[in-house]
Amino acid sequence: MEGKIIVVTSGKGGVGKTTATASIGAALALEGNRVAVIDMDIGLRNLDIVLGLENRIVFNIVDVVNKRCNLSQALIRDRRIENLFLVPASQSDNKDVLTTLGVQRLAKQLKSEFNYVIMDSPAGIEKGFENSVVAADEAIVVCTPDVSSIKDADRVIGLLYARSITPRLIVNRIIPEMVVRGDMLSHEDVMDILSIDLLGLVPMDDQVVISTNTGVPLVMQNQSLAGQAFRRIAKRINGETDLPIQVPTMKTGIWSKITQKLGLTK
Amino acid sequence: MLNGFMKKFSGKKSSKETAKKRLQFALVYDKLEINEMTLESLQKDIIEVISKYFEIDTKSLQLEVQRERDHELSALVFNTPILCVKKNKAYNAQKI
Ligand SMILES: Nc1ncnc2c1ncn2[C@@H]1O[C@H](COP(=O)(O)OP(=O)(O)OP(=O)(O)O)[C@@H](O)[C@H]1O
Ligand SMILES: [Mg+2]
Repeated sequence: MEGKIIVVTSGKGGVGKTTATASIGAALALEGNRVAVIDMDIGLRNLDIVLGLENRIVFNIVDVVNKRCNLSQALIRDRRIENLFLVPASQSDNKDVLTTLGVQRLAKQLKSEFNYVIMDSPAGIEKGFENSVVAADEAIVVCTPDVSSIKDADRVIGLLYARSITPRLIVNRIIPEMVVRGDMLSHEDVMDILSIDLLGLVPMDDQVVISTNTGVPLVMQNQSLAGQAFRRIAKRINGETDLPIQVPTMKTGIWSKITQKLGLTK
Repeated sequence: MLNGFMKKFSGKKSSKETAKKRLQFALVYDKLEINEMTLESLQKDIIEVISKYFEIDTKSLQLEVQRERDHELSALVFNTPILCVKKNKAYNAQKI
């Protein structure tokens, strides 16, 4: 097998990298792929808790890279979603314990065992970022429609281009009401400014918080609009390149509220 | 919804338009590490030079830095309507 390594990055913190990694990873597995999600945020591990796998950690990525265990020992298999695996970050080390060489060696092994390897990068553009992108075949940049997030995304896009990676963009936490009012940049505005290809648009959604509260992957909640957006993103990554990008719209009518609750709106 | 219309009619700029303008400026300045003052004084100098040869409309001219993502290049784009050529200058230039 010769899988693909995709890094999820953003520059700015708290824009939804971990949410995106967990959701896209889970959705790609639901599509029938063998998927590994890797938490590269050494010292601030989160991906395990977002996915509800925190109780099952024995070894972590630093153990694997430093050969204290085999890859298979560090891989946590998700029991709800077939073919989804997690390599957790270490909580005690700092970001400098990994070397790019060590990461590259691990990446090679991961590629031979998985269709998709999704790397959740830490915020920032220092060592942790370096380690996350060093083995990447593709990159996803996540931003929110606010000025500082877009500015940081622009910086990161430049760094990725310098490595000959052409990233694709996810705009997260879109609030349609504010876009209509003219108080939030629309995805067209963001595209104008960043001029890169769009991979998907994800609305602000209470279900994201609920999903992380319970540790149930967002894409398993059928009524979640953000979850649906991530499933479409995964399909697009998985070769359905014609799948149109849906723009989040205001859902105010009573009928759409009901169908949303029942999970009928797709 | 109504809010959006009100803003359009009252002619007040929406906050996202301000955000977009600010961002576009900020990104160009970051990359080139120049500031607005440098651009302004460049614009003044360019006007001075061009005015030797052409009658130009100084009010509607635009100086812009355009970014080309793939090549990591920036282009300086100067846009101005020419009102007319200053005859004697053009002639003198030809003689030289
Ligand atoms: N579409 C969304 N709707 C509502 N809340 C969201 C959405 N996306 C992310 N969030 C929330 O925003 C917060 C930050 O998300 P997340 O942890 O995924 O960001 P991050 O980029 O990984 O952060 P860090 O840089 O710290 O690693 C979380 O509380 C998450 O639940
Ligand atoms: Mg994170």
